[in-house]
Amino acid sequence: MEKLVASVNVLPEQESGASPSVPAAASVPDGRMGRKNASSSGSLSRKIVSLAVPPLVVFVLFVALWEIVIRMSGVQPYLFPKPSDIVTAASENWHNLLVSVRTTIAEAVLGFALSVVLGVAFAVLLALSKTVERSVYPYAIILQTIPIVAVAPIIVIWFGAGMNAIVIIAFLIAFFPILSNTLIGLNSTEMNMKNLFYLYNATKWQTIWRLRIPAALPYILAGMKISCSLSVVGAIVGEYIAGIGGLQGGLGYAITVASTRLQTAYLFACGLTAAVMGIVFFLLINALSNRLLRSWHDSAINS
Amino acid sequence: MSSSLAAIPSAGEEAGSGASGLLVGMEQIGKIYPNGTVAVQNVNLRVGEGEFLCFVGPSGCGKSTIFNMIAGLTGHTSGRLSVLGTTPKEARKMNEIAFVFQEHTLLPWSKLIDNVTMPLTLRGVPKKERIREGERVLELVGLKDYLKVLPRQLSGGMKMRVSIARALISRPKLLLMDEPFGALDEITRQSLQDELLNIWRQDRKMTVLFITHNVFEAAFLSTRVVVMTPRPGKIADILEIPTPFPRSDDYRSSPEFGRHVHAVSETLKH
Repeated sequence: MEKLVASVNVLPEQESGASPSVPAAASVPDGRMGRKNASSSGSLSRKIVSLAVPPLVVFVLFVALWEIVIRMSGVQPYLFPKPSDIVTAASENWHNLLVSVRTTIAEAVLGFALSVVLGVAFAVLLALSKTVERSVYPYAIILQTIPIVAVAPIIVIWFGAGMNAIVIIAFLIAFFPILSNTLIGLNSTEMNMKNLFYLYNATKWQTIWRLRIPAALPYILAGMKISCSLSVVGAIVGEYIAGIGGLQGGLGYAITVASTRLQTAYLFACGLTAAVMGIVFFLLINALSNRLLRSWHDSAINS
Repeated sequence: MSSSLAAIPSAGEEAGSGASGLLVGMEQIGKIYPNGTVAVQNVNLRVGEGEFLCFVGPSGCGKSTIFNMIAGLTGHTSGRLSVLGTTPKEARKMNEIAFVFQEHTLLPWSKLIDNVTMPLTLRGVPKKERIREGERVLELVGLKDYLKVLPRQLSGGMKMRVSIARALISRPKLLLMDEPFGALDEITRQSLQDELLNIWRQDRKMTVLFITHNVFEAAFLSTRVVVMTPRPGKIADILEIPTPFPRSDDYRSSPEFGRHVHAVSETLKH
């Protein structure tokens, strides 16, 4: 039987691969499909496990070591809290933490949205005219080098403490990566493509809208990936300087309060929450980027 | 150069179409770059309606410069140049000229139908008409089942077909092709040559100017071959390829084809 199959097949090496699937395919094609799907989803979950397990193991070991070392050494929680202290502090103050997170998210998202809209718009303006780019872009770079912390008090004087000032600080920190990335993207359109649009009598606006912005999209999204985490940092820095208390203070405000009261465990909880927020924000933008580029850009095709 | 003027076209065709049949006229055209490099010198050429003209020559002989001048991408520094009876810039605005480059220059984020209809979109042609014309030209190049496909899913030869379809969509009087098949394998190249000739023969009024390095390609496609030599770029000679169309694989292996190839090669060596 084996011999027969081999002699029918032109390529002998197919024999071993083909013969087990032949009976299945012949008798129940549906069953074979099901089996194929099951095995592919099985390999997917196996892949997730192999990706997730090593960092998880490290995390558990790290937390356990931390807990044990601090417990053994008897260091006071206000100097260095154990993981269990942090969890307790977070669960005792979970309502305040929730309010703080909500406030900070709102500020970061607003600042980020503003930086995307204005960053792209400004980059398009600069890309439309070389003269404008040459005369204005250096100042954009200089503006970027001024530490935000140094100008923050001015922003508070102009816009008052609270939401407005904080959103503007988050925006200022997140703005430049979007601007510079978009500008590079707009300026790196293929010469041939630009010639083609020129030869087909495209207007400047059509070239921007139909060619240069879509071509710059991978760059814009790369800028957004940098800026989204920065906007969280910006919001928290803004709250240090311009945060207002009451029931609406954000994470940055909560951190300053916790530090003056020596609530170190809660301070850790706030810091970790901010980190998680930055990561989630980044993952969201990353997912958006993959979704937009998946079908046509090399950077997203194999991910 | 006076010999190249004398080598102008089959009088029969020219006489029929008259003065209005002149699509490209070059008189003593020269181009010197600001750094002093002479790109082309003393180019005289008259291209009539319905011709298929190949430009052959080594790199740096000014083939692409001549194309860019006709397209209006760069200016000439001496002589007189007329395209479609006017200046290159004005001619371009008439939407009668189309272009194909060596790279397919398709928008990677746009479906084939959107890529192919791009010249019409830029002109503000209504969507219904755009789609109809897009389907027409994609059918012409044998890709009408791929309307909604993105360019990256296609092979190099198919991308070039799409690029040609895009050029044909505005039913151009003048088609400029700059080494369109240069990056393709020989088999794909030959089948695209056949298809291009078929399309050109269906529309007797379209004139094709075609740049190539490939002597065989020039001898297969053209009604006339413009042989160019470098440093400074000028026309060495213009050779007639009188073999009638349709030209098939039989022509590719015929002694006549061999003679044409030989003649072009000999002129190149001078």
